[in-house]
Amino acid sequence: MHLDHLRLRDFRNYARLDASFAPGFHVLLGDNAQGKTNILEAIYLMATLRSFRGVGGAHMIRQGQKGYFVGGKIVGQGEHEIKMYWSAAERKLSLDAQPVRKLSDYLGVLRVVVFCTEDLQLIKGPARSRRRFIDLLLTQTHPGYLGLLQRYARALRSRNALLKRHSPDEAALDSFSAELVKLGNEIIRFRRELAPKISPLARLAYRRISNDAEELRLEYQPGVKQDFAVELAQSRKRERTYRSTIIGPHRDELQFQLNGRSAAQFGSEGQKRTLALALKMAQAEYLTGLHGSPPILLIDDVMGELDVKRRSGLLPLLERAHHARGQVFMTCTEENWPRELGRDWCRWQVKAGTMHVRG
Amino acid sequence: MATLPEPIANLIATLAKLPGIGPRSAERLALHLVQTESGAVQQLAEALVRARERIRPCPTCGALTDSEQVPCALCADPRRDATLVCLLERPVDIISIEKSGTYHGKYHVLGGKISPLNGVEPEDLRIAELEERLKHEPITEIVIALGTDVEGDATSSYLAKRLARPGLKITRIAHGLPAGSGLEFADELTLTHALAGRREMD
Ligand SMILES: Nc1ncnc2c1ncn2[C@@H]1O[C@H](COP(=O)(O)OP(=O)(O)O)[C@@H](O)[C@H]1O
Ligand SMILES: [Mg+2]
Ligand SMILES: [Zn+2]
Repeated sequence: MHLDHLRLRDFRNYARLDASFAPGFHVLLGDNAQGKTNILEAIYLMATLRSFRGVGGAHMIRQGQKGYFVGGKIVGQGEHEIKMYWSAAERKLSLDAQPVRKLSDYLGVLRVVVFCTEDLQLIKGPARSRRRFIDLLLTQTHPGYLGLLQRYARALRSRNALLKRHSPDEAALDSFSAELVKLGNEIIRFRRELAPKISPLARLAYRRISNDAEELRLEYQPGVKQDFAVELAQSRKRERTYRSTIIGPHRDELQFQLNGRSAAQFGSEGQKRTLALALKMAQAEYLTGLHGSPPILLIDDVMGELDVKRRSGLLPLLERAHHARGQVFMTCTEENWPRELGRDWCRWQVKAGTMHVRG
Repeated sequence: MATLPEPIANLIATLAKLPGIGPRSAERLALHLVQTESGAVQQLAEALVRARERIRPCPTCGALTDSEQVPCALCADPRRDATLVCLLERPVDIISIEKSGTYHGKYHVLGGKISPLNGVEPEDLRIAELEERLKHEPITEIVIALGTDVEGDATSSYLAKRLARPGLKITRIAHGLPAGSGLEFADELTLTHALAGRREMD
């Protein structure tokens, strides 16, 4: 799968951009604050309908304009045309000139994995960032999963709204509890099945990058120990104090262990960086295995932070994507571009919201 | 753009509040109306006022009815199976079920569903009215036909418990209805399948 064409209108600092890309390796070079990351953000947005910077649509509209447009032509099994428009008053998303009615029909047309400096949050950040990692992966691989998540979130918010009342209607609360349990158990089942599939891939990637003897293990630690319904009922007393739902998959944790010890607590800074990289590589490998073709890799500013050893650990993955007619977009500043890559890549110059091939 | 005369602007703003009418259609309708022969506009205005004045919810089932026809035609129809009641969210849902042509029982409109996020509680729904009907009418089966979103599901299980009593079967149609939508999106064929395949709730 590759992005054949990208079109931006009033997106971030791009008034208009039309760029065509062959499969293979694209390096986006330029000084700081010129618009390199914005390109990756636009590609990620088409794939996931979110910004990997975690901001809402309004931030992405070029200053002083009404709305942004992001469009792309994706070439894989077939060809697909994505068009999205976002303004405060209007949101439009179409696939092959048809408005998208169900997100599950849309997500998966373009698959990406992003590598960025914020990935370190996967290890250092709150459990929420690790749940988001699993959820994104499941969304990319199971059409019904996003809907399930949304239903669960709705049931949870409804239930919490009831718990906020002075004397909640117990029968109504029970009926939302039943929904929560039904949906929550499905989410737990998905996550439980995923963890052992990702764990060996991450271990392999970690070893490849670090050459160290440490054994990496991913452990899924559900907030529910055995029976969601029973444990939810048992938590009623504490819920009265907290006035919100304190048990369920919204409290799940994914723990990373190196030689049996929590990497977040005991890992060195270098180990954490390696781990973040390994997780993203595992994600890419998993998607490749499942779909038979690699996802598009978006690599933002990562090169500068890696020492030679870790850079060379990442290279095989990049080369594999390259050989399978996949595509890699990597942002770099002049000093950091990956000289070890050889000459088989396309070099773009990004400057003040413009982008041109550099000979 | 030149500003429109105030009465037209006002008409556009009023029309645009109607469901399914965006600013463009509101503009088109308003410009059409102000250029239509005045007798026809008078008729339209009278039809609106008359309909609004005469239509009310049937005190028994909650369907919309003429204030001169109480209870409503559906409730009064002796050919309809009085042992079977279909429970719906809104009066328009009756039209969807009627179109499927396979249902011959009676109806009861709840007027919504339990929705903590919108402040709708069980007391806001016409559940007590249904309990009253259970005392006086020969009802042996209730078919719950609420939407299949989270609130619809939760309300259905709430009702299944609250309405449970000896000799009363409670079933639900949910299968085949698109998830997360009300009945209005269900086409006639899926509704027919759904009605035939209704399941007893546990
Ligand atoms: N909504 C916006 N409208 C206009 N310019 C923006 C907007 N958001 C960000 N920018 C500009 O984009 C530039 C940063 O782009 P970015 O892609 O992050 O740079 P880099 O090349 O360092 O990766 C800055 O100059 C910033 O002012
Ligand atoms: Mg950047
Ligand atoms: Zn009636």
